Amino acid sequence: MKLSYNWIKEYVDLSGITPEVLADKLTNAGFEVEGIDYVAQGTNLVVGEIVECTDHPDSDHLHLCKVNIGSEVLNIVCGAPNARTGLKVIVAKVGAELPEITIKAGKIRGQESNGMLCSLRELGVSEKILTEKQINGIEELPEDAVVGNEDVLAYLGLDDVILDVGLTPNRADFMAYFAAAKEVSAVVNRPCTLPTSVKADKEESATIKISSTTDKCPLFLGKYIHSVTIKESPAWMSQRLQACGIKSINNVVDISNYVMLETGQPLHFYDASKNEAKELRAESEKDFTYMALDGIDYKIEPNDIVIMSGNNCAGIAGIMGGEDSKIDDDTKEIIIEAASFSAVAIRNSARRLNLGTEASTRFIKGIEPVAPYKAMERAVSLLIEYADAKGIEETVEYGSNNYQQTEFDVTLSFINGRLGTKYSMDEVIAVLNRLDFNPTVNDDIIHVVIPSYRPDVTIPDDISEEVIRLIGYDSLESTLPLMPMTLGALSKEQANRRVIEKTLGGLGLQQVISYTLVSDEHIADGVMPLGETVTLASPLSEERKNVRSSLLPSMLDVVNYNVSRNQANVNIYEISNVYANDKVEERLGIVLLGTLQNLAWNKTSIKSDFYTLKGIVETVLERLGFNATRVCIKENTEDTKAFHKGKSACVYLGKELIGIIGAIHPTLAKKYGLKEVYMAEIKLDAIYGAKASKVKYVPLPKYPASKRDLAFVVKRDMNVSNIVDVIKKVGKSIVKDVEIFDIYEGEHVAADEKSVALSVLYQNEEKTLTDADINGVQDQIMEALEKQLNAVLRK
Amino acid sequence: MVNKIQELKEKALKELETVNSAKELQDLKVLYLGKKGPIQELMMGMKDLSKEERPAFGQAVNEVKSFLEQKMEEARKVIEEKELALRLENEKIDITLPGFKMEQGNLHPLTLMQRELEDIFIGMGYTVEEGPEVEYDLYNFERANIPQDHPARDMQDTFYINAEKLLRTHTTAIQTRQLEAANGKLPIKMICPGKVYRRDDDDATHSHQFTQMEGLVVAENITLADLKGTLEFMAKKVLGESSKVRFRPSFFPFTEPSVEVDISCHMCGGKGCNVCKGTGWIEVLGAGMVHPDVLEMAGIDSSKCSGFAFGVGVERIAMLKYGVDDIRHFYTDDVRFLKTFNRFE
Repeated sequence: MKLSYNWIKEYVDLSGITPEVLADKLTNAGFEVEGIDYVAQGTNLVVGEIVECTDHPDSDHLHLCKVNIGSEVLNIVCGAPNARTGLKVIVAKVGAELPEITIKAGKIRGQESNGMLCSLRELGVSEKILTEKQINGIEELPEDAVVGNEDVLAYLGLDDVILDVGLTPNRADFMAYFAAAKEVSAVVNRPCTLPTSVKADKEESATIKISSTTDKCPLFLGKYIHSVTIKESPAWMSQRLQACGIKSINNVVDISNYVMLETGQPLHFYDASKNEAKELRAESEKDFTYMALDGIDYKIEPNDIVIMSGNNCAGIAGIMGGEDSKIDDDTKEIIIEAASFSAVAIRNSARRLNLGTEASTRFIKGIEPVAPYKAMERAVSLLIEYADAKGIEETVEYGSNNYQQTEFDVTLSFINGRLGTKYSMDEVIAVLNRLDFNPTVNDDIIHVVIPSYRPDVTIPDDISEEVIRLIGYDSLESTLPLMPMTLGALSKEQANRRVIEKTLGGLGLQQVISYTLVSDEHIADGVMPLGETVTLASPLSEERKNVRSSLLPSMLDVVNYNVSRNQANVNIYEISNVYANDKVEERLGIVLLGTLQNLAWNKTSIKSDFYTLKGIVETVLERLGFNATRVCIKENTEDTKAFHKGKSACVYLGKELIGIIGAIHPTLAKKYGLKEVYMAEIKLDAIYGAKASKVKYVPLPKYPASKRDLAFVVKRDMNVSNIVDVIKKVGKSIVKDVEIFDIYEGEHVAADEKSVALSVLYQNEEKTLTDADINGVQDQIMEALEKQLNAVLRK
Repeated sequence: MVNKIQELKEKALKELETVNSAKELQDLKVLYLGKKGPIQELMMGMKDLSKEERPAFGQAVNEVKSFLEQKMEEARKVIEEKELALRLENEKIDITLPGFKMEQGNLHPLTLMQRELEDIFIGMGYTVEEGPEVEYDLYNFERANIPQDHPARDMQDTFYINAEKLLRTHTTAIQTRQLEAANGKLPIKMICPGKVYRRDDDDATHSHQFTQMEGLVVAENITLADLKGTLEFMAKKVLGESSKVRFRPSFFPFTEPSVEVDISCHMCGGKGCNVCKGTGWIEVLGAGMVHPDVLEMAGIDSSKCSGFAFGVGVERIAMLKYGVDDIRHFYTDDVRFLKTFNRFE
């Protein structure tokens, strides 16, 4: 909202309060001033008259001017094409500080120059409000301008300062200058004097029909004025409109806008001669195309409110009037509309039609309930004063604003209790008086009556805010809540999540966070489908259309992003919720690429491969309390579209599938611009829900262990786990551990076979094992292996 | 005979001086002191001597023997030391080659920041609550005192899924759920971190997805001053002990009074710099006293209890603390970026 400092100054005495100070005070009171804009700036200015203008001897465009500034005549070299004898001009004397330049005495191409003749642009006036002529030449002052007048900016009405005020949604009242003045008055604690209105000596009886057939227009005021004179607006009015970004058109149109600025109530003036039915009727449920006064056709739908006159449409209510009935230079008589329209209806229409106007903005943000009455009164007053309004009919009023004054009680102890302050009754009452809340006190109870322009104040809590807002938040102490003890702690899930993060971090994986919203393709590429996809009603783009139901596709994008930035090793994980219709699941995604650990010169590295990934997943599960005996890793039968069939596996916790791990399917890899990566997606809710094993002390063995190395030749496609299982099963009593230390295929082994070398650790808790003890068991093992797996001991 | 002993001694000592290795020393020892060596031979020859001569001769031979043994032992020590020194010299490695600095993964900077905040509040007795990102309009708006067609819905452009469901626009949705779940049981003292979504085009300072952490305390006699004290405590822990907090009036539908909270600029200490645009203050979060309607909607008697609520942008704090200039870095996950955040501060 653009707040003119000069305009407000007319209502509230701001002497001694600079625009900067006012901005500070407003910001501290909840009206954040986002910018301070001087309309024009310049010191050492004076009105002068060119008494002689000759061409510069050494230039084809410069002039030598003798300029009378009252006290003396200055020689000034000027390049403006419109410099001429007899012209009244703005003179910047030597030492003048202009926005972009400081004026010095000097010589221009050999000719003495003691000052500058100025254009408004050079004084910092925005080009937007200047004519081509004003931009290209020096400002031509009126002939009656007084030579020697040093208060040039004030004389031109350009000494204003515009504060750009950010309004919170609850304080739309501030958009009306009258309400803004009340607020400023409260903030600076000085009285506020608003202008008084003049009335017609006698109003004629009404001859127009005003009505509303829609509840979206509960109050409609209309007034017929039989005679107005169209002319230029007074300078102060067009300047104020301009300060607020509204173009001056003529006195009548300007008055409608000016009153809107004053009261917040948008008015519409119709040329009465073009309204044959002499009727204004608010209606909705219409369906037609209508050309508004911007010359554009708008498609009117049933939810829009329109103003009808007989069978003709006269405007889109609250948004824009029609071309047919607009005020022009020939207008002699007018009908004034001041109505209340539903904010919701106006918002929806303005949005759909993509038509935001000064009027619609105000209706949407909310208008003081009594504003139509105030605005009508002000409009009549200004039309009488500045448009020779005559033949003024009585106002026709249709409907009601249903306004009831807000009044309620609040206690001093409530205010201090909510705020944690120790304000006295006097301090609080003083603030409430500044706000015109008419406080009356009875013991601890304060009764307040809220002015109609403050619909945001309805409950005692609002009063507490008003009090501290105006007294100032600086005075608020810092304390900590005094309350019953509470236990601050993480939930089991949160604690588990931290365990996963710590474990994966320790193993060298970077945590990533990628976007939740994904494309259709990403949904299709997801693993372990969850259900019906959650899709946005109106997405910003195809890329961000669905809520993801799997983590891996977004993580593959992250890997691709890094690979395209020459990162060879990308080992990442993400923990996030994924969604389907009415379903949510927390998942862990892991993607490995390159090496996990590497010291190249020492030829030491941990490759990011299937076994590294498997180990990582097993380690995480172990850290969560699920060791190998509870976890089962089996052939992947779930998803052979995203995963490489032969290099992937399903992970089960008990019988429940909790994830898939393995190499990416080459087709999917290609799609994401990758070669081989290893990836896993794990369902965490299933893990959080399962009962973890307890950490339990096991006595250390008392008797020594014995290690025996064995090598078997088996079929190439046999899973080594089969051998290990048999050894552990047969040797159950004394086999403590089986370590695979070599898998060999090649020379000395048949083409369809492989050699598996294992180290078996034997140990008994009761005694030291003898060779005979071990050999007995080992013979059984070898026999079982041969029988069950055709495993031949390699000699 | 005595001369012969003396000659033997001289000869052995002479040869000992030329010994250079443990092996040569061992050979020399065997040569002189071995079972077939000259000392042994002399001892054997003693039987040819008279009884009178024997003791003196025996003693002389033994003296030489132990003398040589001692000398050889001394020589062995010297040689061993020399050989060890030589070995150590030969085993010298190039200590300038790089060490195996094993890769440690980091928490994502937003997790790092979130956890730092979580731990501060857990220490003050807060629980950490979560909730769904696909949320009902009811919890995101209605219960937060933002009914249909409320102007505040204009403030946050929302990703709707259908008329009832949306992606939550703030973690206030977790608060309203928790207020309902409390079923009137107080006190409530919680923080609720989580991802939130708004219909914003992504650029350096806007992201359609970001992270919030809101806090909520409801009990008897909770005051706005308590809110200030709590946030000041947080600011000091996160941005440094000298941090100060400033309130400015603002508006949120679910709080009354509502405040914008500025924290004194941690870069310049409040003197004014680029980060705080010369003001000495940085706008960091929104907060206020819980609106009585929000409490009443959850079945809490607002005449007996009060509460405060605040909401922090986790990205905002992380960007301030670490000087990150583009919010998109948090979501593109360049591993070089992620590796920067390798510890808690």
